[in-house]
Amino acid sequence: MSALDSAFLSRLHAAAPGGVIDDPAERLTYESDALVHLRATPGAVVLPASAAEVQAVVRLCHERGVPFIARGHGTGLSGGALPHPDGVLIGLARLNRILDVDVPNLRVTVEPGVTNLDITRRVAPFGCYYAPDPSSQSVCSIGGNIAENSGGAHCLKYGFTVHHVLSVEAVLPDGTLTTIGSSALDAPGLDLLGVLVGSEGTLAVVTKAALRILRRPEAVLTLLAGFPSIDAAGDAVSAIIGHGIIPAAVEMMDRLTIDAAEASVQPNFPKTSAVLIVELDGPQSEVDDLFVTVERVCRQAGAETVEIARDQGQRERIWKGRKAAFAAMGRVSPNYYVQDGVVPRTRLSEVLRRIRDLEARSGLRIGNVFHAGDGNLHPLICYDEAIPGQAQHAEAVASEILQYCIDAGGAITGEHGVGADKKSYMSKMFADADLDTMQLVRCAFDPANLCNPGKVFPTPRLCGEVPGPYRQHPVERAGLGERF
Amino acid sequence: MAASHTAPVTAADMAAALADAARASRRVVPVGAATKLAWHDDPFETADTLSTRGLLDGFAHYAGDLVATIPAGMTLAEANARLAAAGQWLPVDPLFADRATIGGIVATNDSGPRRYRHGAPRDLIVGIEVALADGRVVHAGGRVVKNVAGYDLSRLFCGSHGSLGVVTSATFKLVPLAADSCTLVARLPTLAAALACAQALAHSPLTPSAIELQAPDPVLLIRFETTATARTQMLAATNALLQPSGAETQVVHGDAEHAVWTDHDRRISASTHTLLKVSVLPSAAVRVFTAWTPGVQWAANGRAALGVFVVRLQGTADHVATEISRLRRAAELAHGHLTMLDAPPDVKRLAGPSPEAPAAALMQAVKARFDPHAVLRRVCDGR
Ligand SMILES: Cc1cc2nc3c(=O)[nH]c(=O)nc-3n(C[C@H](O)[C@H](O)[C@H](O)COP(=O)(O)OP(=O)(O)OC[C@H]3O[C@@H](n4cnc5c(N)ncnc54)[C@H](O)[C@@H]3O)c2cc1C
Repeated sequence: MSALDSAFLSRLHAAAPGGVIDDPAERLTYESDALVHLRATPGAVVLPASAAEVQAVVRLCHERGVPFIARGHGTGLSGGALPHPDGVLIGLARLNRILDVDVPNLRVTVEPGVTNLDITRRVAPFGCYYAPDPSSQSVCSIGGNIAENSGGAHCLKYGFTVHHVLSVEAVLPDGTLTTIGSSALDAPGLDLLGVLVGSEGTLAVVTKAALRILRRPEAVLTLLAGFPSIDAAGDAVSAIIGHGIIPAAVEMMDRLTIDAAEASVQPNFPKTSAVLIVELDGPQSEVDDLFVTVERVCRQAGAETVEIARDQGQRERIWKGRKAAFAAMGRVSPNYYVQDGVVPRTRLSEVLRRIRDLEARSGLRIGNVFHAGDGNLHPLICYDEAIPGQAQHAEAVASEILQYCIDAGGAITGEHGVGADKKSYMSKMFADADLDTMQLVRCAFDPANLCNPGKVFPTPRLCGEVPGPYRQHPVERAGLGERF
Repeated sequence: MAASHTAPVTAADMAAALADAARASRRVVPVGAATKLAWHDDPFETADTLSTRGLLDGFAHYAGDLVATIPAGMTLAEANARLAAAGQWLPVDPLFADRATIGGIVATNDSGPRRYRHGAPRDLIVGIEVALADGRVVHAGGRVVKNVAGYDLSRLFCGSHGSLGVVTSATFKLVPLAADSCTLVARLPTLAAALACAQALAHSPLTPSAIELQAPDPVLLIRFETTATARTQMLAATNALLQPSGAETQVVHGDAEHAVWTDHDRRISASTHTLLKVSVLPSAAVRVFTAWTPGVQWAANGRAALGVFVVRLQGTADHVATEISRLRRAAELAHGHLTMLDAPPDVKRLAGPSPEAPAAALMQAVKARFDPHAVLRRVCDGR
């Protein structure tokens, strides 16, 4: 083994006593994240018990030029936590304490291995919750959420992870422990936190985070409407927003995913071509007022059924149907591929039409379940890996859908990240100069390219030295275009 | 050589001008409407300026998507006038909102009372175009609200004060204009009571778009932008919440409401004195507002429930500098910090530099990668 010789491993043991996973069978767990077709055996796996141990591990890696990859709970869907065969996988699962709950200031301080939903559970007795709610919230970690800038159904109104992180403590790739951002707003200097969130573990290892929590709204009203077509449901979404209403969530499912959800968790959804879930929250009077408009708009757009959940039980049933959609595809297809792309909301109908044509042309069934409010599509491409070539065919279909998103002026990922999976698509969305500029940030944080290398960017940038701030020689200055 | 002034009309020309400056080893300061140029500890009076006022092309309103791309030279007022045609707006209300340009608002990440509901520019931006010191024009983000492809450089440029490049256009998510707006003006007996009421409101089920403090004579401006029925009920609930504190309240709508908010801004922006921003944990804000240095006149406006206050000081340079030191310590005790916005040179000198930001070395490293020859302004990180 190259870099990870026995001398290195014994120092690794010293850096995180009792934290190194020696058992090869146990190491198998860490071969992939939830994007299981991308796998690698990590050179070493370590589960530090404190920020100081994380720091000691990173320092060692930095000193020896060994790549390291942070891992939360491994639910990522883009291979972001894919290990490096000659590198160290740093699992943050043991850093799982909620360190502080400050209700007066609506803040919590947590370690990165805390599970998203545990924060809400912890602050619920105070009438508070943590807003970003990825469907995986009962299993994913805050560290992973920060790395991916995770979103969820309620991000339409409340924003993504980046809107809820106030500061982090992080170990930089050279082993320095630092604080980025501050618990009070508007930390002085550059907004490095804004760029760290969503950097997919390529800039630093987060060891602590201060997060905003919110007061639970007084009222929540959920509506489930069945439509004769996706287009009609899409028209309803446009009309709701056209009326100046930003619901807390707007989710859409097509017939295939409705059937799958029905087979799996029996949410009792209408058997229509599409359903829309619209949730309003806020003060009771406002919710009641706006709800009248939402219901009217849905009916005008052709809703065949409208069901209103007025209590927690009914609401939970509706959301269960929505949240089960991914997993439920297993009921209608042996395998499926989850794509994640974004289109401007006004282009939804057009892109969905292209997806339907593709479905007909490819012979693979494609389910659609998506965050309709913000145009984030999650096509589920059904295939059977037992049929030779079909997995590759599904991948090609998934890739074509991304092209539709790009054509419509959208994005190649709305929440699952680029990771190892989509890095080759980055050049379709960004010019070389754009990617090069992003990597200037990478070079500032991690000039040696050791922190989760090989992710996000199609080609790594050679960082080189930074020239001194004031160069003396005018001839040299004239050549700066090449040096940059 | 006398300072020059250039006003390119395209992003490409802006980038070329930056590259020229780099080649000639001249330092340049990007300038919009020049309302917040002094909000930086670097002197700017003698530097070459690169005006963004010529960057007016490329405005695009994607109304159905609640998104707009706005060129850097356009004023917020003009952008919002255009967006209003479709019943939408870019929900930021920074100081000098009538004159401030989009580029300047992004570069300072400045916001105002309605930050309470809508956030700061960094919370609303979804894409950016910038001209870099090496002559390139680059993009990040896009024109969709949800997008995690690549690093979020848009946010990095928010509040960068022209230290990394020149913002040439920005894309934001928008919000619908409210159907109805009114403001409850509450006079309270003490500042402590006003701050306590602001906290109580923030913890109530009510959803005002602003909870704004005026000091030293304690007043809260509480704005509701919702449906007419909801407004009536929320006003009643707010009154009930404020009464035990001895509040005298009055509700204003329409022109009167507009006047209240215009006056609110003027309290801070009308005269050129020392202007500071104090950010603290909201529950500790009361600590900041005690024991003022004798001989200093002061006024403050602030997002009471967010813990962000803009403070104006007036007095002799000595007195003001002493007060700045006191405020700095008070802010630190309240887990926050003080940022110097504008101040006369002698005050800046006497008050000394801000303490270094925790990640200052990293900020310098980023700056050095974007602007290796230090053509642009320094990073305001307290160094
Ligand atoms: C069924 C299912 C549903 C999902 N639904 C959603 C959804 O609705 N919305 C959504 O946004 N995502 C969703 N996801 C994706 C996934 O849950 C999120 O990306 C999540 O944030 C990953 O968290 P994790 O702890 O599992 O991270 P991991 O998979 O372990 O890691 C993800 C990335 O984060 C980095 N990382 C982890 N911890 C740290 C740290 N402490 N410091 C620095 N970098 C770190 C890793 O290097 C990697 O690049 C879903 C996934 C599944 C399986």
